[in-house]
Amino acid sequence: MTPPRVRMSGIVRRFGAVKALDGAALTLEAGEIHGVLGENGAGKTTLLNILAGLLSQDSGTLEIDGGEVVLSNPRDAWRRGIGMVHQHFKLVGALTVLENLSLGLRVEGGGFGLPYARVRRRVADLEDRTGLHVPLDRAVSDLSVGERQRVEILKALLRDPRVLVLDEPTAVLTPGEVASLFDLLRTLAADGTAVALVAHKLDEVLAVAHRVTVLRDGRTVFGGTVGEVEPEQLVRAMVGESPTRTEPGVRGRVQGEVVAALRKVGLQHGPGWRLSEISMEVERGRIVGIAGVEGNGQRELALLLAGRAKPDQGEAVVPARTGFIPQDRTHEGLIADFDLVENMGLAFHSGRGLMPWSSIRVRAEELRRDYAVRAPTVRTRAGALSGGNQQRLVVGRELAVARDLLVAENPTRGLDIAATRFVRDRLVDLVAAGRGVEPPGVVLISGDLDELLEVADRILVMVRGRLIPVPDHARTRDGIGALMLAGGS
Amino acid sequence: MSEGLVPQRVRGPLFVAGGAVLATVLVAGLALLLGGFDPGQAAAAMVRGTVGSPSALLSVTLVRAVPLILSGLAVAIAFRAGVWNIGAEGQLYAGAMAGVWVGLSAGGLPALLALPAALIASCVAGAVWALIPALMRTRLGVGEVITTILMNFVAIHLASYLVRGPLQESRGVFPQTDAIAEAARLGVLVPGTRLHWGFALAVLVALGASLFLSRTRAGFRLRAVGASPSAAQVAGGIDARRVWTGAFLSSGAVAGLAGGVEVAGVTYALYEGLSPGWGYTAIAVALLAGLSPLAVLVTGALFGALEGGASAMQREAGVPSAWVSFVQALVILSVLALDRLRRTGTTLALGRSGGDVAEASAEDDGSGGEIGERSGGA
Amino acid sequence: MTLADLTLFLEASVRLGVPLALAAMGEAVAERSGVINIGVEGSIISGALAGAMGALWLGGALPAVLVGALGGALVAGIFAAFAVGLGTDQIITGTAVTLGGLGLTGAIYQARFGATGTALTLPTLASVPVPGLSGLPVVGTALFDQAPTAYVAYALAPALWYFLFKTEWGLELRATGEDPEAASAAGVRVRWMRFWATVFGGALAGVAGAHLALAHAGTFAENMSAGRGFIAIAVVVLGRWNPPLVLAAALLFGAASALQFLMQALGLDLPYQLFLAFPYLLTLAALAGWVGRARAPSSLAMPWPKDES
Repeated sequence: MTPPRVRMSGIVRRFGAVKALDGAALTLEAGEIHGVLGENGAGKTTLLNILAGLLSQDSGTLEIDGGEVVLSNPRDAWRRGIGMVHQHFKLVGALTVLENLSLGLRVEGGGFGLPYARVRRRVADLEDRTGLHVPLDRAVSDLSVGERQRVEILKALLRDPRVLVLDEPTAVLTPGEVASLFDLLRTLAADGTAVALVAHKLDEVLAVAHRVTVLRDGRTVFGGTVGEVEPEQLVRAMVGESPTRTEPGVRGRVQGEVVAALRKVGLQHGPGWRLSEISMEVERGRIVGIAGVEGNGQRELALLLAGRAKPDQGEAVVPARTGFIPQDRTHEGLIADFDLVENMGLAFHSGRGLMPWSSIRVRAEELRRDYAVRAPTVRTRAGALSGGNQQRLVVGRELAVARDLLVAENPTRGLDIAATRFVRDRLVDLVAAGRGVEPPGVVLISGDLDELLEVADRILVMVRGRLIPVPDHARTRDGIGALMLAGGS
Repeated sequence: MSEGLVPQRVRGPLFVAGGAVLATVLVAGLALLLGGFDPGQAAAAMVRGTVGSPSALLSVTLVRAVPLILSGLAVAIAFRAGVWNIGAEGQLYAGAMAGVWVGLSAGGLPALLALPAALIASCVAGAVWALIPALMRTRLGVGEVITTILMNFVAIHLASYLVRGPLQESRGVFPQTDAIAEAARLGVLVPGTRLHWGFALAVLVALGASLFLSRTRAGFRLRAVGASPSAAQVAGGIDARRVWTGAFLSSGAVAGLAGGVEVAGVTYALYEGLSPGWGYTAIAVALLAGLSPLAVLVTGALFGALEGGASAMQREAGVPSAWVSFVQALVILSVLALDRLRRTGTTLALGRSGGDVAEASAEDDGSGGEIGERSGGA
Repeated sequence: MTLADLTLFLEASVRLGVPLALAAMGEAVAERSGVINIGVEGSIISGALAGAMGALWLGGALPAVLVGALGGALVAGIFAAFAVGLGTDQIITGTAVTLGGLGLTGAIYQARFGATGTALTLPTLASVPVPGLSGLPVVGTALFDQAPTAYVAYALAPALWYFLFKTEWGLELRATGEDPEAASAAGVRVRWMRFWATVFGGALAGVAGAHLALAHAGTFAENMSAGRGFIAIAVVVLGRWNPPLVLAAALLFGAASALQFLMQALGLDLPYQLFLAFPYLLTLAALAGWVGRARAPSSLAMPWPKDES
């Protein structure tokens, strides 16, 4: 019997005091599509980065075609036929597609030549075989997310991988793009490539994979063949004991006055898509959901609503007392070198005079208790907290100041199930009537349709800088997906 | 510049500072040996010349420390905000030029008016000298590192022009100005020594800067922008450009004050080479202090001793005076290296626990005050 | 103004522009890899001293240039060990290296040749006229009757351009400066690349320093680099990180510095300090007017790998 293409066993990897992997195992056979499942933080990306030579394991073995190997850098991995498509594309924006594809190949002239002609030929071949098309002479920074992913895949394919690893490739794609990606993976597998597909969306993996491996807390806890396992089995393996679902918040919401309004707003500069002809209103006691594939203008919309940006045309009426939960919590939501009290201070510094440190400290203590932030004291550096606890800190702080409006940008991304539940419940609680205070309005921008369907009172879809309301009859995954694709045309 | 180039809160500053001093002493001593000098003799000369007697301490070390403390504070304020002001030297010269100009024309004024006028003029001139790089950064996106350095050269040449041209002393022989009016001079702080009231002023500015950073809203905004411009702007809604501009101008004003105080307290005149590079030494002063204003008082005195002792070292042990810049460079590099080692966690366990204790005790502005009772060594 | 004045002015422009060009082209390569080396001033002064001492030991100016290159590379190597190896802040490390370079060279010079500074007389780097070209009217002697180091600068401009934009190594170096994360994932050794790019830049700065000592002054003096390292960094911006443009920008600044000779020749009586300040002011003005259209490598001055957490 031939040995498997890849066998990883007993893999341990620490980051400082944290054990990201603690005895993980994975076996990939030639010609299969292998789903790697797990919650965020389960260690999927770490495991595959080890396979791709980006990280090294502290202990454990990696065998390729039955022989043990040590991969000390990505180049080693390619030599062994392992290609990886990263979740966060590893492309150089300022360089052209052709330059990106040529980077690091080092095939002709030992560094003095350039392999452009060869790369063009190879890309043409691959295009015939796979149907992947990319504009070779454009700068990567000009490409759409879907195009960038195709470049990333081609970059891996140019190195003739016998093993192709894709880390969360579907997160940034429209449903149609997902379907064609899966067709490509099937083609590659049929040619004998071993394909590893990381995802945390179960249904996608089940649609395309032959076998699955489930990671939890850095360990491999389950392995099986698709068709022989029940989805519930996989969910249990992913999350451990069945999650304690807290009851959704009070549903009886009362719509109040309009607290924020955009009228035919346009935004000309800034990264990503500019906005055009955006009109929307947010009322007290309402959660307005914004759906869409990332990079279509949600970022700019969030900054406008939160008063962090001014429109170039049209009118934006937004309240002063606004909370803002930015998507990138480690860089925009909090200051890693500040402790909990100081991070709380980010919401209480306006004006002149002295900082009201004593009251801020009290609020920080309350936040640590009420939001169950796992930190030894309020003097703990925010950077020392886990991702979920950082998000609790940010959410808690912003909810404390969101007296008229709260803008939340993917507030549950990267959180585990319990933390996700917690954050959604707080959002719902916030707009609930009958707390003796007037509730704020909430704008929830999310890439997670299920989240929007669960908590939003109404949903709008953002496509290429425009906002399309979702009619009630289309308030389903498929309906919203279709709107994302159609672009309101 | 990117965020977090220097840690906003330098954790374990005592560990880093102590280690840096140790490393510097070792390397500098070794280099002296290699150069054929006697490190012991040099060190003895240094100690005698700086702290060996009350007059050495007060008239040499602390007098030398005044411009270093003030320019060190200037650098610390800027760096805390993430403004890479390498231009304290030029701002110091600008302050000295303005101070001398006012001091020369203040003949008829009472001291109560002339001295403040001269010092305020120094501050304004320093701020104006910083304004150009500040505007170039915030309006045009030109990095301040290069522009502040270029402004240094412009200031030095301008001072050289003034003392050979319009402001040259009345006999027209030496490249320096006349002495400023008595009314515009800083009095002696400790009778019988050369220590002037500028020292008290420097201590006052350090205290003020420390309270500003730890207690005030504007000080918090400055620290937040310095620690993470993106979080300060997005989560804090802070106008980072305003904070940068404010920090830049304040930094320039304090550096200008350093020049004004030197003129009003020590030289009473402007001449070429007034500053032996204090604006650059200030970077070492500020970094060794972990960018904490109160610690700048200590590190400023340390570097004052180093500069004051250099002439004694040259006299008694024959060590070239240019040596001092090399030692300063060693200090900066050791601070940087030790800080990196500590942050990347490859330091010894000893260093880590030492750092925690230091954090609890040496933190003067960690959002401090009534809520700042840090659990020591937690 | 006579033709002879103009020739003299052009000749001085090139002579003053060459050390800037050498240092700036080296710095451009380092910056393309993502490293801004403020310590280039330290490399220049070390190159000057090393070149001077090399000339004394070896008795010839030409081999002494190589000693100068070594001196500059050594200082840049120290900078790179900290800034690239340890990931310390590039700006502050560079400032320290400049400070240390100026201090150490001054101390060595004082210790070796006495603090009084009796001027050291060195074998000089003689001008080598290029047959044919040096006979061209006006520009002939200015461009083609110069020290050999000038020809090194001329040759490097197209050579470095070819290296950066037409070779795989150049592609890898640029990718390193733009996005070290992506470059590393593509198999580029980011720190290795940055280290050697910086050391190469330091070697060129060392040649620039040797040129100052051997072709300009015929002696060494403390602080004789006189801020050229900082101007070189500005010249890199003006030359948009592209070697031929950097060479052109450096010669332009040579001309700005040479203006004082022209003014003297014209009999204009302006304070010379203003001419000394002029290149700095011109650099400031050029940065203000130019930078909006230039784009630095995205990862310039960013340490790599980034800290976790």
